[in-house]
Amino acid sequence: MFKETAQRLKAAGPLLAQTTLLKEVPPRKKPRVKVDIPGLERITYGDRMHYVPGLAKPSFPTWVRDWNDPSHYYAPKEEEMPLHKEKPCFIFNQRTNALEGVRQALWLTKSKLTKGLPDQVLSLAENEANQIENQDERVQNAIRHARFWDTTEERPSREKFCMALLRSLIHLCGSLQVSHSGLGRRILAEKYSLAATWNRGEDLFQVRGQNGLLLNSIAPLPVLAGKEEVQSTADHVLETFYPISPTIDLQSVQVYEEQNHTGFKEDYPYPHAHTLFLLEAGDTPVTLLPEQLRAKMIMFAFGNALARAHTLHGTKPRVLEQPIVVQSVATNGRMFQYVMFQLNTTDLQADEGVKNQVWVENDQLLYDFAKVHPLIKKRVVQIPPGLSGYKPETFQKFLSLYLHGAV
Amino acid sequence: MAARTRLPLQSLIHKNGNVFRSDRIVHTAIQEPVYPPIVPSLTAKSKSAKGRQIAEHLDKVRAADVQEKLTFLTRVQRKKYVLCPQTFALNADKWYQHFTKTAYLPGLPEKFIVDETKEESVPDTQNASSTIDETAFADIRSHVCHSILQENWYMKKRQPFLQREQEHYVAPYLRNLVSGLTHAMAKHNPVLQLSSLDFDPQVNFYWMRGQRTIPRGHRGGRVEPIRFQIDDKPHSQIRIPHQLPQFVPLEVVMSAEVPEIKFAPDLLPMFRRQYENNIFTGAKLPDPGCYGHTQFHLVPDRYRRDKMAKRNLNDQIEVYLRANGIASLFAWTGAQAMYQGFWSHEDVTRPFVSQAVITDGQYFSFFCYQLNTLGLSMETDAGNPRKNVCWGTDSMRLYEGVKDGAVVGLDDSVLKLLVQFLLNRSG
Repeated sequence: MFKETAQRLKAAGPLLAQTTLLKEVPPRKKPRVKVDIPGLERITYGDRMHYVPGLAKPSFPTWVRDWNDPSHYYAPKEEEMPLHKEKPCFIFNQRTNALEGVRQALWLTKSKLTKGLPDQVLSLAENEANQIENQDERVQNAIRHARFWDTTEERPSREKFCMALLRSLIHLCGSLQVSHSGLGRRILAEKYSLAATWNRGEDLFQVRGQNGLLLNSIAPLPVLAGKEEVQSTADHVLETFYPISPTIDLQSVQVYEEQNHTGFKEDYPYPHAHTLFLLEAGDTPVTLLPEQLRAKMIMFAFGNALARAHTLHGTKPRVLEQPIVVQSVATNGRMFQYVMFQLNTTDLQADEGVKNQVWVENDQLLYDFAKVHPLIKKRVVQIPPGLSGYKPETFQKFLSLYLHGAV
Repeated sequence: MAARTRLPLQSLIHKNGNVFRSDRIVHTAIQEPVYPPIVPSLTAKSKSAKGRQIAEHLDKVRAADVQEKLTFLTRVQRKKYVLCPQTFALNADKWYQHFTKTAYLPGLPEKFIVDETKEESVPDTQNASSTIDETAFADIRSHVCHSILQENWYMKKRQPFLQREQEHYVAPYLRNLVSGLTHAMAKHNPVLQLSSLDFDPQVNFYWMRGQRTIPRGHRGGRVEPIRFQIDDKPHSQIRIPHQLPQFVPLEVVMSAEVPEIKFAPDLLPMFRRQYENNIFTGAKLPDPGCYGHTQFHLVPDRYRRDKMAKRNLNDQIEVYLRANGIASLFAWTGAQAMYQGFWSHEDVTRPFVSQAVITDGQYFSFFCYQLNTLGLSMETDAGNPRKNVCWGTDSMRLYEGVKDGAVVGLDDSVLKLLVQFLLNRSG
């Protein structure tokens, strides 16, 4: 039928009795369970070799191939799999869209939130010696390249410009290696897989999977909060969001393995995870809102820190003498989120005790608008073409996070 | 006057020439033309009218600014041969040399010192800017080793899908290598501090070379130029705001010849399509990084050495790399030249230089290209003595393999050559 008719029918869907276009897919029916009553002999038409009305359908034993053919593999039922466990495990993966966002992430990681990055990090970029030559102009050129000039078409797609912008900014920051040689002791890892397990309350939680670009460094990041501040977090009470369970939106599995793996071997020369870059470019089925994106950043930064702690000190829960710091930057091409996570303790079972700490910078716009054509309303230019509303503070924070640990 | 006095005018002139001269003021300068110049018609159905239309169009293109020039030259879409830099065709390098009027010289220009023994014996006369000290080189070597090992040893990875090993193992390591080298070399080469590094960029070029007679159809019998298009996707490239210096002067006569191929391009095989004519260096015109420094190309799985050996194409390995280098670099330098306003009828006044490194992870080949002429079309090629030059090496092995968490057999000379490539700068 015509497109317009279909659209109108869809709009009037609930009003129509027969809505052929809005048919709900019914749930899959469970197969009928064959009950075997002991003592009762089933008369089947198996011996007769053809269907006979009135007799039962025979059940034959399943034929099993006498050799293992990998292209014809029947997986066992979930209960019969070797890794099946009674207790379910809740996994946070790259596709998780946490309902309660940052609050849920804080509860799961037993952390205390502080708004704004710590001063010692912010002051790094304000120092003249740490700035790039013609910083603003070069960043603006990088934005224009990513948003306008990177393609033969009119404008590049979001997946393209998001990655191009991030790579250009990292390249710009890396040019400071001329003056700060510590920046050379780092390496980027793409497509690394993380695994971290912990107990929280009565449940088992895991962070698993590929997440984004990880910048690894030879030297660990300096600790952000001193011992007194760490001890004072013990007084903080974690925010609960009853009646919503903290395990909401996490993938619940019963076939799992408790792994703690940083994604790299033991003797990796860059063992410390420095910064995790996450991209929200609209290429995944799930588009994360900023709150959920920040939750993802916190969880994966925590996962990296926890995996490192488990590798160093073992899986027994304890308070760490040397807290582990991991940073994270997420962007959708225009808006940046910054998170710094300090892991103080791996004792996450109880709600009391020393907490971990999170510093978050919300919704930092790098620029207001990047339009190919100007927005003109009633013959007045509302938004000019090209890049407008550039905010240098956002890149300064990016640079300070990048330089942290090498200055 | 002569009629009234009934005197012969000639005698009067000869006797009283001065009198006449003093009476009348004669302009010795050229007189302003009273009538407009006589030119062929613009709209008539004649050959001279057609010639005038073409001349007016060329003048219009010459007078336009760069963006409009590019639009004029690429506006009309016609069927064109698509030249793939990474091609399955055998012996494609000779054909590509002919299409791009490139002379190929094996080895690199004198600028790049390849010989290690030469380096050791003459340490004092070396230019300080052309080499780096031992500690910096050791840092680079360790970074390269770590990049290789990260992808092949340290990182926990699944098995790659079939025919995707290059993308799985080599592409990320090459990205790390390029960015690490660029940042490390920025100290010694200030032009790299202003560079932009693109990953998976696009490079396109459209040009005309040679002519053919249309065999059939309503335009049969007419002579038309043969059009070519390159659509290249290098692995990564470094673009800079200042141009690299030339390797040889523009008008020098090279010893190598451009091979002449008398067959039609269809026989390579090359195929014709009609779509957008793009001329693109990797960024649009307003970008300040309009000149190219170095491109890095990744050899796809199909053209890896082991796969070529399985298909009995061992001799084609180097040919493939040469064809790739020539085509990609011609497209890049040509696009850079067109961004500066040069085109086939306004030939380049200074040579455009770029470099490329083609690798499959283990074997590296280095190419340098100098674009001396863009006049390849049928009108401009006739009396054009200039030709483009490409220098290139055979593939050199960087390392033998990865064993037990260590890179075995790392060749320092290849690394030194890479460093030299990145140290290339103007002034």
